[in-house]
Amino acid sequence: MPKKLTLFRAFFRRQLAYFRRYFANSLGGMLTLYVVFLLILGGYRGLSGPSGLQGDTTEALVVGYGLWFFMLMTYQDVSYTIRTEALTGTLEQLYMSIHSFGWVMGASVSAAFMANFVMWAVLLGVAMFTTGTALNIDLLSVLPVLIGTLLGPLGIGFIIGGLTLVFKRIESYTQMVQFVLIGLVAVPAERVVWMRLLPGSFGAGLVRDIMVRGASLAEIGAGNLALLFAIGVGHLLLGYAVYKQCERAAMSRGLLGHY
Amino acid sequence: MVRVESLAKTYQGRRGSPPVKAVDGVSFQVPPGQLLGLLGPNGAGKTTTVKMMCGLIRPDAGQILINGTDMVRRRNQALAHVSAVLEGNRNIYWRLSCRENLEFFAGLKGRSPRDVRSEIDYYLELFKLTEKVNTEARQLSRGMQQKLAIAVALISQSEVLLLDEPTLGLDVQASFEIRELLKRMVEEQGRTIILTTHDMNVVQDTCKRVIIINQGRIVADDSVHNLLDLFKVKVYRIVIDGKLTPGQREALENLPEVLLEEENPHETVISVRLEESQVLYQVFGILGAENTVIHSIDQEQNNFERVFLEILERGDQSA
Repeated sequence: MPKKLTLFRAFFRRQLAYFRRYFANSLGGMLTLYVVFLLILGGYRGLSGPSGLQGDTTEALVVGYGLWFFMLMTYQDVSYTIRTEALTGTLEQLYMSIHSFGWVMGASVSAAFMANFVMWAVLLGVAMFTTGTALNIDLLSVLPVLIGTLLGPLGIGFIIGGLTLVFKRIESYTQMVQFVLIGLVAVPAERVVWMRLLPGSFGAGLVRDIMVRGASLAEIGAGNLALLFAIGVGHLLLGYAVYKQCERAAMSRGLLGHY
Repeated sequence: MVRVESLAKTYQGRRGSPPVKAVDGVSFQVPPGQLLGLLGPNGAGKTTTVKMMCGLIRPDAGQILINGTDMVRRRNQALAHVSAVLEGNRNIYWRLSCRENLEFFAGLKGRSPRDVRSEIDYYLELFKLTEKVNTEARQLSRGMQQKLAIAVALISQSEVLLLDEPTLGLDVQASFEIRELLKRMVEEQGRTIILTTHDMNVVQDTCKRVIIINQGRIVADDSVHNLLDLFKVKVYRIVIDGKLTPGQREALENLPEVLLEEENPHETVISVRLEESQVLYQVFGILGAENTVIHSIDQEQNNFERVFLEILERGDQSA
């Protein structure tokens, strides 16, 4: 078996072991997210007055919330993982793999993506049932756009992970990122062109187009898809470059495994 | 074969504090199948040296060759030959079982679960963990976790194993078991093991050779046997009944080789470091003049702890 495949397989098996062993805990986490969604929904309905939410506003809220959850999980899969591995003492072991750390994190994120995808699907399903909305679940269209959208949060995850390597206890700042992500999902990147350059924003608009307005991948167009991936890869490379700089500083100062 | 040449590392001081020279021109070679002890007081540069050998800290100067592969220039290739346990029982995933840990870390080194299945069973049996195969690591005792961490390092089939304080915090039984396992790994599998420790029993019991580092420099590099021979001294402990008279005490204190270790109304312990027999006669003369009753005379065994302290002391004096 090729060694890269073995690496990915190791992370998938580890993820599966965690998922199975801590299923009840994952379920509890999802329940919390669902309660938060209900609170947002209730608050939104209350604020919008007697007319309540109409048309595709509720659907957009469901999609936006699901997307924020996915972006947050993806961001945390890098930043939180690096922090936790340093904290528990296993980060140095990951660095002693025969593969570069980029590949190691790639395998880790890919494995986590599967788990996040399942949770996202369940969350969306329950939210749709609660609100009585019907979203366009066209997986062939949604999946590539979703992946392109998540590259931005991945880049942010690498930046925060890198800063954590050097500066260590910066949780109070990193927690702010979850609110930044809400903003990134909510900005009107469809209308304001420069906002498309923000991490995840252009993709969030495209996901809404597919799931709320029923657009297909063909309607999204190859040009938009290419632009989405170009922006996403740009964010990822920028984030990874910052991470490598921080990694170099941490290795030079002997801080890699410290927390 | 591990070759370290002119290795140097200086940590820049933070907030105006001066730079710290952690490792200063360290060079040594370790042939295959040798168990080497890397010793030194806290802050001597042992852990920095080991972490540079694992590619986790970037050296300022020097070269590290693991089986001929440069750790700085061809890090990933060199890492195929090295495994390490740096944080003891923290080097494993506590929420994974023994088998899951072994499979995961084998995967990091490019080995599939199918390839390592029989080896996992072998190591679990060797480390007496077979019954705990499906137990999460967090539910194991500290000694078992430590053994699992070492098994994880061994499963990668790396020829070189680096261990930072492998017996730290373990009880006597667990420490003994790990020492025996390390010796077996060297004897049966021909692995090269480099370990750092503060436990001189571990050194005396397991290591063929030791390197002592102090203030970033190597101050001794020899076999344990030679160092014990080199610093061989005879020390006699004389226990007398009751206390010394003031005259006896003054006379004994004038002899530089004599140390009053303990004095209470019931007994007094006198330690005589014997470099020439004359001193012992003088001590007996001082005691005999007052008809002092000698309760016992024992010869102390030379141990590595004394050798280690002697080397560090001489290093400090020459500095």
